[in-house]
Parts: sequence; C-alpha cells; structure tokens
Amino acid sequence: MMDTFNQLLAGFATAGTPINLLWAFAGCALGTAIGVLPGLGPAVTVAMLLPITGQVEPTASMIFFAGIYYGAMYGGSTTSILLNTPGETGTMVTALEGFKMAKSGRAGAALASAAIGSFVAGTIATILVTLFAPMLAEFAVKLGPPEYFCLMLLAFTTVSAVLGQSTLRGLTALFFGLALGLIGIDQITAQVRYTGGILEFMDGIEVVLVAVGLFAVAEALYNALYEGRSEASMNKMNKAHMTRSEWRRSWPAWLRGTAIGFPFGTIPAGGTEIPTFLSYATERKLAAPEHRAEFGTTGAIEGVAGPEAANNAAVTGTLVPLLTLGIPTSVTAAILLSALQNYGINAGPQLFQTSSALVWALIASLYIGNVMLLVLNLPMVGLWVKLLKIPRPQLYAGILIFATVGVYGMRQSAFDLFLMYGLGLLGVVMRRYDFPTAPVIVGLILGPMAEAQMRNALSIGEGSFMVFLQRPMSATLLAVVLVVLVLPRLLARLKGPAAS
Amino acid sequence: MNPSPQANAAAPDHRPGQLAMGIGALIVAAVLAYGAAAIPSDAGYAGVGPDFLPWVVSAALAICGVMLIWEVRTGGYRHMEEPSGAARGDWRALAWVSAGVLLNAALITTIGFILSCALCFALAVRGLRASEGKPIGNLRQTVKDAVTGIVIAAPVYWLFTKLLAVNLPGITASGWI
Repeated sequence: MMDTFNQLLAGFATAGTPINLLWAFAGCALGTAIGVLPGLGPAVTVAMLLPITGQVEPTASMIFFAGIYYGAMYGGSTTSILLNTPGETGTMVTALEGFKMAKSGRAGAALASAAIGSFVAGTIATILVTLFAPMLAEFAVKLGPPEYFCLMLLAFTTVSAVLGQSTLRGLTALFFGLALGLIGIDQITAQVRYTGGILEFMDGIEVVLVAVGLFAVAEALYNALYEGRSEASMNKMNKAHMTRSEWRRSWPAWLRGTAIGFPFGTIPAGGTEIPTFLSYATERKLAAPEHRAEFGTTGAIEGVAGPEAANNAAVTGTLVPLLTLGIPTSVTAAILLSALQNYGINAGPQLFQTSSALVWALIASLYIGNVMLLVLNLPMVGLWVKLLKIPRPQLYAGILIFATVGVYGMRQSAFDLFLMYGLGLLGVVMRRYDFPTAPVIVGLILGPMAEAQMRNALSIGEGSFMVFLQRPMSATLLAVVLVVLVLPRLLARLKGPAAS
Repeated sequence: MNPSPQANAAAPDHRPGQLAMGIGALIVAAVLAYGAAAIPSDAGYAGVGPDFLPWVVSAALAICGVMLIWEVRTGGYRHMEEPSGAARGDWRALAWVSAGVLLNAALITTIGFILSCALCFALAVRGLRASEGKPIGNLRQTVKDAVTGIVIAAPVYWLFTKLLAVNLPGITASGWI
C-alpha cells in the first residue's frame, strides 16, 4: 500500500511537469471540444492523432490521449442536454432526462449536475484504479496463454453479443474485424496472409484507417446521404448552477452511478451503455415519490446525475483491464492500446514493472485531468456551446481534412485514403442496417493477439484443445463466455411467450 | 420487442439491403476460404498452423451470412432499430462528398496536402449543402469554400509537419505549401 502511494507521488511528479501539464490541458480541452461536436468521438480523435506517436514521447502522448478520452465524456453530456443528439453513445441516457430539463428551463442545473457528477465519479474511480490495478497486475502475471485466450474470448463475446440489438449482427461485425486482422504477416510463423500481392497489405491494416473510415468518413457520408433534412433544435442555455435541493438530490445519484459504472468498466464486458441504462433504471425506481412524476416529463435531475457518474466511472474502469491485462473493452481503449504498441510497449501485467513511470504518470494525470475538466466545463461551458453553432456542412467537410491527416500521416500512402473511403461506405451501410461497429475495431486489434495466445496455449497443451478445459481458471472463463452467450436468449425465451 | 407489422408499413422496405448485407458476408467468407486454401498448415508444436484461424473466421462468416439471409427471408432482421434520417438517400449529395474524398486520395501526392484537402473540403461542403436542400453554391460561394478549406488545411499542415514531424506531402521543398 505504501509502495503504491510512493509510486503515485512519483507519478504526480512526472505528470506535474509544465510540459506534461500542458499536454494534459490540451487533451482535456480538445476532448471537451470533440465531445461537444457531433460526429467526432474520442476513439476517432485519438486515432487521427496517432501519427504523433512518431515524435512525442510515450508518457506525454498517453497523458494527452487520456485527456481526450476523458474530456469527450464531459463534453458529450453538454450536447446531450442542449441538443438531444448525444455526442457520445455513453451520454445517450443523459439526453433522456437532461434534454427535458433543459426544455423546461433548467439547462444550467442539468449541466452542473452532469459536470460535478462526472468529476466525483471520475475521481472516485481513479482512486479505485490506483488501489486495485497494481493488485490485479500482480495476480495477472500468473495467467498463462490459455487464460489470456479465454479472457479475450470473453471480451469478443461481450462486445459483440451483449452490446447492440442483435447477437447475429454483432458477431458478423466481429468476424469481419477478425478477418481484417488476418491480413498481413502472421506473428508466429511469419507466414504472409491475404495480401493479394499488394505491398501495402504486408504490414496489415492500420487500426487508425479502420476507425477513421468507419466512424469519421462514414459519419460525413451518412450525413450527406440521409441526414440533410433532419432538424435539430437547440435548448436555451442558462448559468450552470444548482439549488440546495438539487444538490441533495444529485449526490446520492452520483455515488450510486459510480458504484454501478466502475465494475462494468473493469470486467471485459466493455461499453458504457449497460451501466448508464442500469443507473437510469435505478434512479427512476429509487426516486422520492414527489419527484417521480418529473421522470420523462419535465426532467428529473437524478436521471442526469446517475448515468453521467456511471458513464465516467465506467470509462475510468476500462483502464484497469487495459493496463493490467492489455485487453481493451472499448473502442477508445483499443486505440490507446495500439498507441502503446506503436511505442513497442506491450500492455499487460508486466507494464506495471517495465513501464511503471509511464503508468503512474498516466494515473496521476487522471486526477489532474478531472480537476481541469471541472473548471473547463463549469464556468466555461458557454464557450463550448458556441461550437454547436458551426454549420453542419463545414463541420463534416472539416472532419474529412482531419481524417486525411490521421490516415495519410500514419503510413504516407495514398492507397490508404482509397481504402478509408471504402471503409466509410461500409460504415454507412452498417449504420443503415443496424450493425454495431465497435466489434470490428475490437476484433481487428484483439484478433491477432488472441490468435497468438491460442497457438501458444496449444503448444503448451501439445496440440490438444483440452488445455483450455484442464486449467481451472480458463475453464471457468469459458463457462462465463457460454453463460454470456446463452443467458440473454434463455431469458428472452422465458419472457417471450408472456410478453406477446 | 419486435415492432408490429402495422408500425412497419410506413417505413421503407429494408429487406433488399439486408439481403445484400447477408450476401456480402457470404462473399467475404468465400474470399477468406479461397485465401485460406493457399496458406500452408504447417503447425509445428501448436497443433494448428497459420491457416487455422482463417478457416474458422471464414466458416463463422458463412454461418452468419446464411443466418442473416434466413432472417431476411422470414420477415427481415430481428430487433431492428429504425435507422435515423430520411427514408430515401440523397445520392447526388453523396456523389459530391465521395468525389471530394476520392479526388483527395488521387491528387494528394501531386498537388500537395493543402490544395488537395481544400478541394476535398469545397466539394464535400457542396454535397452537404445539397443534402440540406439549399443551393449548392455559385462561383463566389465556391471560391469562399476553397479559401475556407485552405484556412483549415494550412495550419493543420504546419502543425503536423513542423511541430510534430509527421510526414505530409507538399509541392515545394520549403515545407510551407
């Protein structure tokens, strides 16, 4: 424990240097901006900025990227409350009550509760990361390839089968991502696969390319194709301020939201959708009778406070599996992982030993970032709202320029720009027919790692698949995978006849 | 959970597109299988070689494709969220934006990052404006768009090439254009 504290102090010393503070501030500000703007999320922003890993040193760029990741969650709630078009999937639920509050003239209270709730949840979650991540890393060192493979299998299953509407479409997206991951040179035997003689494919397909194509370019194309006539009305802003009774109603919701969000972030079940919805349902159920009528009508502050806290706690929680196991459970975490890979740093349990300075500086910067974001989002919220005045055509056309920087800057190949367009078209049809895109990214990044772990595990088992069942830990994980796949179907079947 | 058929009557019929997605999955599966056949299966100690996962992914995608098509044949995708936006696509707007992105890809190494991106910006803005049903812009507007594109692209170019040492194509050796 003392050891953790000392390392955290050392982390603060690194993160507190002027240059690193500047990177943290730049990340937080940029993150808030892209969170506010529709069409750009933290994942695609970090992806577009990945080329800087060639020049900026690892600690600074990880602090910068983490600031973007965090800031986007704060900024996203502003858009949800004022525009009713959530800037981020994690802030979807905030839009339910927040938009209604703003409509009835309480935008300021909703914004304040969201920002302060994000701060409370983010800080508590960071403390939990500080305490538990080193312990988990110590435990994770003992895991072998079979266990890792099963953990990754679990991540695949939850990302594709649990999130989103349909397991079938989620799995289709996942296998497509795995297929993209196969392109290039096999890690173990150096066998070339699926390059079709095209030189650009030898190094595999960059995650930047896929993320930018599927999210940024697809967003611009989808907007041109379908969203031209969609009208968005903006709510009136007022001063971010909460009354005494609003404080009293908010703080228990913040704490409950944190308690729901953090565990969901840490297990490889990823995503912020489930915890935010759970938190919303909880708040609705627990609301005092005199406030219950506000839900869905004039807007209840608990319905903003709880999900916002859950959202931020979950986002912070995803850092635990990322830093201790090297397993990303969200798209942004997947891209952070690929940033580490660019530096030749292997995320995993050894990270706390081999790159402990970086890890602790990153954790310390989360504490600092939360304070910065509170300042950026409370007194200065009016500034960010101005970003929503950018006309839609210029906004999306501008995004295309940044997409070009990210994709071209990565490998200096015009071929990649054509590929990016192709993936953009794919993103459009996937969105049109309700295929989730996150499994593609997770499959692409985690696929090659999972394949290597599987083949190493089979080597240990001398070629027998029984190795996954003979080790208690991996057998347990396999059972969990099975439950995750089967349980929702079983529940639906039990509920089905009664409902229809 | 499933929307009733009555509610769906007004919505456009997505089934042809859904069918195409299923067929697409089958095609990808077939391509993967074709490629997998060419990968040696030399397994070493592991018991499975570099062709193992390709076969697994190919088979899984084939199953997904068949099941998607089966869902379409039996009434359409299950648990569908109605897509946001208009029922009918604005193909002219899409063509403008596509032209911007593709010309950018084709020209970036010849006319440099700044000009190429400004061109992409001007074309994309036209398309997005068309999708809103506004006039797509006369000559004056187009010049204005191109200048806006340069004003965005140039600082980005300088920031990335000068400060962050990311390689982006220019047309002069000075590194400023």
